[in-house]
Amino acid sequence: MVTCTGCALLCEDIEVVLENGGIKESRNACRRGAARFRGCKNRLAPSVDKKQTDIDTAIKKAAEILKNAKSLMLFGWSNSTCEAQAKGIQLAKKLNAAIDDTSSFCQGLLIERVLQKKFRTCSLEDVRNRADVLVYWGSDAQDSQPRHLSRFSVFPRGESRQRGYEEDRLAIAIDVRESNTAKICKGHFYRIPLKGDREFILALMEALVGKVPKYDAKRMLELAGIMKKAEFGVIFAGIGLTYSIKDDIDILVSLADMLPNFHVMPMVGHYNMRGFNEALFKETGFVNRVKFGVKPVHDNKYAVVEALKSKSIDALLITGSDPLSSLPRSILSHLASIPVICIDPCVTLTSKIAAVTIPAAASGLECGGSAVRMDGKVIEISKVVENSYLTDAQILTRLMEGL
Amino acid sequence: MPTVMELYQLLPKTNCKKCGESTCMAFSVALLSRKKKVSECTPILEESFKKQKEKLESLLLPTAGAEETGMIVHPELCTGCGNCVVACPVDVANDPHGAGTGCAPTNDKVIFKVMDGKVVAFNIKECRRFGKNRVLCYACIDPCPTGAIEFV
Amino acid sequence: MGMDVGKFMKNPEYEIKLTTHRDIFQVEALEYDRFGDEYKKHSAVVVMGKDDMNKFGLKTGDRVRLMNSFGSIVVELRESKREEPGGLAFMVNSPWSNALVSDETGGRGIPEFKNINAKISRTKDEITTIESLIDR
Repeated sequence: MVTCTGCALLCEDIEVVLENGGIKESRNACRRGAARFRGCKNRLAPSVDKKQTDIDTAIKKAAEILKNAKSLMLFGWSNSTCEAQAKGIQLAKKLNAAIDDTSSFCQGLLIERVLQKKFRTCSLEDVRNRADVLVYWGSDAQDSQPRHLSRFSVFPRGESRQRGYEEDRLAIAIDVRESNTAKICKGHFYRIPLKGDREFILALMEALVGKVPKYDAKRMLELAGIMKKAEFGVIFAGIGLTYSIKDDIDILVSLADMLPNFHVMPMVGHYNMRGFNEALFKETGFVNRVKFGVKPVHDNKYAVVEALKSKSIDALLITGSDPLSSLPRSILSHLASIPVICIDPCVTLTSKIAAVTIPAAASGLECGGSAVRMDGKVIEISKVVENSYLTDAQILTRLMEGL
Repeated sequence: MPTVMELYQLLPKTNCKKCGESTCMAFSVALLSRKKKVSECTPILEESFKKQKEKLESLLLPTAGAEETGMIVHPELCTGCGNCVVACPVDVANDPHGAGTGCAPTNDKVIFKVMDGKVVAFNIKECRRFGKNRVLCYACIDPCPTGAIEFV
Repeated sequence: MGMDVGKFMKNPEYEIKLTTHRDIFQVEALEYDRFGDEYKKHSAVVVMGKDDMNKFGLKTGDRVRLMNSFGSIVVELRESKREEPGGLAFMVNSPWSNALVSDETGGRGIPEFKNINAKISRTKDEITTIESLIDR
């Protein structure tokens, strides 16, 4: 059995069939996980200034860029093991650099509040064993964490949920789109307008205190009734919800406070985003957007989006992420004018414009380590195939030695 | 797969009971679950119902690839989420601590397994839609958001 | 054969609101090859409800230009397989949708990935390639 790094569920029950030193087939992994085990078509090669070179030259050049930078940012991290993330944080400290990860424009706001204990949360095993009301809010788990419903929430039999989903569990979806997850929630799909989550929360709060809400009163009172009666409820908060209420995220804390039997779990996509958030939180008290110096400083200007938009960094080291693919093009022009170092197993949009590329082992396939599941549980990930790629952690160590 | 109502609309609707069912509606349910054949309805064999009979037969035509239960898995639609693996009552009974609890199946007695990211059906004869005491079970279809499992 | 009037007339533009989501088939394609046809096929697409398409005189398979002050892309239009309340079009999150995302973040670091205003018009231009989304 090996662990899948396809998403932050980190499924540990995967079988792989090996052939000629490679993976022939995976079993029990979803379509997303299976794609991960198949690997990518175009492996990254070491390069400097877009010319292929050997790995030592690439690492040497990268170390030089890091040394010469006056305003450096280290970014990525959500696709790396905890061991690599620890090295990354160490490197940022050593270089007095800013460090940020993909949670900065993803679920960081919610994970921060979970780690600050502003939300009651729970483990996925608690969900399986105890949860009776499951609210997928702005979250299409079926497409993003495909085994969430089957392994933990809606479908499995658990300790106090032995009778199957038709009798024991109630799944609700709140979303702007009838997603695949919403389809499963059939009679309990609440469609809201784009950016309508705040209004919806306010109406739900009114309904919870027995007032007739202005907005869809009948269904809102019905939902409030279901949530009040829940023995063990969970709100699975997706980025649809986070993006919609990003300027007033604490409204979700207020809602959770009114629901004593409810837990909030941020739905995480990348397999080890939470790992990075926990590591940086432990080190600095913040989950992302930190600059090291005399003491670590947290500021929105150290968010990768703001740093690129304001052109305030003069070099960027990226580990396991593709900002050119995942960020708005409107803020990316600065990327072309600064040296970018790209550490990744595969060719990405960003690697095409990078000053230095350093190929890495794909975690969960070519190297193992540990990672933090979306609910905070530490999971061992496995090396499946023999290979000669350096791991992210080894590359970062060599960069540190080369300074 | 046709619906009960589609089948019912094509029947003579006389409730003559000659097929052994109490009503034409009951007969359409039996048709859908393949407990009865169209030819067991005597009135429909008359010339005036020729078109309806042909239409019924075409609706009930087994699709290529269907197993004896009529189950077809469309791998191109499957996301490999495993909802069917865990929700199937046969899987739960045959592997209560594996598939039944949401984990990977721990034995070969289950009907559904996910291979290379897509579901594959085994042990079709264990399906509740098969055999003498078959029932019209929807446990694998209802939890599938993409329509990757179908009974024809 | 009649004259192809469309050739001489500017295609009408309509204001639309776009939101983005994830799609497992697109992620599968992304894992394998983000420069491949499969990834493009799942990404360079906008989906709309039937009523909206009728309102704009557009049909499935049309190539459409989506444009705003941040970018301009050409994608394929498809009809939603679901009931849509209308007024909202959908794209899978990708470099194509990101070409249209505003740079306005209020200084708080999170762009409006799921809340995009754009103009839509039918076009004969080719679908935007991923290579052209890297070029700057």
